[in-house]
Amino acid sequence: MLGHVVLEVREAQVPLLSVMILGGCTAKLARVLRVGSLDAGLGPTALFPLRLRRPVAIVTCAVEFGCAIGLIVTAGRLGRGEVANSVRLVTSLLFLVATCALLELRTSRPDAGCGCFGDFSTTPVSRRTLTRSAFFAAAALATIGLPPLQAPHPSLDAARLLGIFAVEFLVIAALSPEVGEALVRLGYTEPCELRRLPAVRTLTALRRSGQWRRRSGLITSELPADMWRELCWRYVVFPARLGDREAEIVFAVYLRPHRPVIHAALVDSETGDVLPWPAAAGHRVPRWLLVSGHALGLRRPFRPRRASRARPARPAAPRPGNRLPAPRRPQVPAGLLAAPTDPGRGIPALRMDSPPHRDPNSAPPPRPPRDDMPFSRDL
Amino acid sequence: MLDVRRDHRCCDRFAGTSTAMRASRRRLLKAAVFQPHGTPGDSAADPAAAGFPVPGTLPRVLTGIVHDISPHVLVIGNGASQTRITLTAAATAWRGSSLDPAGLRPGDHAVVRLHPSRRRVADRIWANIGRVTGVIIERDADDLLVDEGKTKPRQLVTIPSSARGRIRVRFPSLEPGFLIDVIGLRRAGVLEARIPGTSQPAYPVDRIPAPAMVSGHVPSAISGSATWHEPVEEPGGLLGVSYPAIDPEAGCAEDPVGSRPAPRFARMPYLAIGSLLLIRNDCTGDSCMLPVTGCAAIARLFNDRCVTCGTSPRGRVADLTQAGFIALGGELDKGCFNATITIGH
Repeated sequence: MLGHVVLEVREAQVPLLSVMILGGCTAKLARVLRVGSLDAGLGPTALFPLRLRRPVAIVTCAVEFGCAIGLIVTAGRLGRGEVANSVRLVTSLLFLVATCALLELRTSRPDAGCGCFGDFSTTPVSRRTLTRSAFFAAAALATIGLPPLQAPHPSLDAARLLGIFAVEFLVIAALSPEVGEALVRLGYTEPCELRRLPAVRTLTALRRSGQWRRRSGLITSELPADMWRELCWRYVVFPARLGDREAEIVFAVYLRPHRPVIHAALVDSETGDVLPWPAAAGHRVPRWLLVSGHALGLRRPFRPRRASRARPARPAAPRPGNRLPAPRRPQVPAGLLAAPTDPGRGIPALRMDSPPHRDPNSAPPPRPPRDDMPFSRDL
Repeated sequence: MLDVRRDHRCCDRFAGTSTAMRASRRRLLKAAVFQPHGTPGDSAADPAAAGFPVPGTLPRVLTGIVHDISPHVLVIGNGASQTRITLTAAATAWRGSSLDPAGLRPGDHAVVRLHPSRRRVADRIWANIGRVTGVIIERDADDLLVDEGKTKPRQLVTIPSSARGRIRVRFPSLEPGFLIDVIGLRRAGVLEARIPGTSQPAYPVDRIPAPAMVSGHVPSAISGSATWHEPVEEPGGLLGVSYPAIDPEAGCAEDPVGSRPAPRFARMPYLAIGSLLLIRNDCTGDSCMLPVTGCAAIARLFNDRCVTCGTSPRGRVADLTQAGFIALGGELDKGCFNATITIGH
């Protein structure tokens, strides 16, 4: 009985080794396709001079693939005897050499990963990795001299074989740093401070928000005056007009793909004071916003729900004699569109350091804040 | 012959008064959103309120061309103005190696650290000091062409035979694709390398190890190495910091030459020009708030440590202006100091 179980365990190693080696080859191939370079995955190839790493990686991958295919082809009656044993011996040698290489790698490059499974895990070579490689070498050695494999009988034999596979996969999983890495990646959420989110998505989310609907009536330009990001927030500044005062509306948009939190403030362009929001600022819809929604990236012109019945918005306490000027579409020099915030992504932006075109009859340009950069002479 | 093209592309960085105004305007607008009941105009316009260093707390720096030098007085000029600086017996100087301050020559470009408590008294002088940090593009014998990133022109570095041994110990692979960081003497547009700025990373720039994944929120305080850079389009004496992780949307994301795929940079929170960082020199304890004035994209490629005092965690967290580096207690010829930056002010 024991001899029969041992034989079954030995027989189970052939498909198991084939699957593992083919899995490693596939992962390496996937990595090569992903990163576009064969020599990106280091592992034991880091032991070789730079010019040899690429050919060594190619040869290693080819030998692995050949062993896996050879194990499968010679598992049955085809090539039984010496051919099958030769393939299994080569596989054993492959894993023995890999174990020795990992030992050397651990000594000379303790920071490098084993390069297994296409460098899926960059965890430095540890005892677990070494044990796994030695385990595979022992498994390959155990297959030498096996008779041709036969399909297991249903019921008891198949169940026992499944049990052997399950136990072995559990052992291999316990020895594999890649499993932990995969589990971490599955449950990983990138912190918002590190998340790359295109500015165009921020603008899209902003234009769909209630804050935009409420505040857009004051905005006088379809182009943001400035846009920048700090940690989890992206700030978007639009020029605005409140009565006869030049102002700016700054939106702070939380960097989340959907329904981000948005804060807004109205700031006097000249004094920098925070201004109170006028009542019903969003009821007035600029004509340019209706006709040029496509310029903002909107699929259809933006129309607030109550815009048709709304009265034009006015400041909460307008000065006597001051009428709210009719909104006008700003004329933006073409050269200003290639702003730092628009690295070829079609994001409208306006450079503050270029003089915008101004109507000579309009209010004087806002006074910029003074340059308060710290200098050594101030110390 | 190595061809030094001056075709560095522009992106969002400190390039003069307009950017400075934009940076301060950003602080004001940010304060308006999150502190609507405060007085954002005051806090953004007042350097002390913004947390910038106040007079008398940190060493001051003067830069200029040496006009005259005597054992007791150094005269340096910056444009039409001249400044007389007293040299005491305790003052030291560097020009490729340590020398007596009186050994400086008229015409040398001097960076002078003044005594913190005695104005117009020199404490330390660096003459003709320069630094090149980047990716080697070409090599011709002992001449190297180095790409310092989008924001700077390419640099020509020559390694004299006297310094070759010292450089090669720290930089064994002076081949295209590998990183280099050397400090030396500026001579007519060429940097004559004298000392290594760090140890060379073992990887070429297109094989940077994958950074560790970060879970939860990024800590607001990050420790690592703080370095310095030569001014390019920066006003002299600016106290600022180039940050390694400017928002990629600003057009500063680094794209080193010949790298495919794009390098996997060390992970740091994204910021913008004008953001404030509290930077602390872990060796001296000096700290101050500095604005981000540029992007240090190349610094992200160096996953190195600073060993000025102990061993810093891996990674460069700040690339300071010369004045900022000196003000925080750094020695230009040392190349770095162990630093902790705090974000979120």
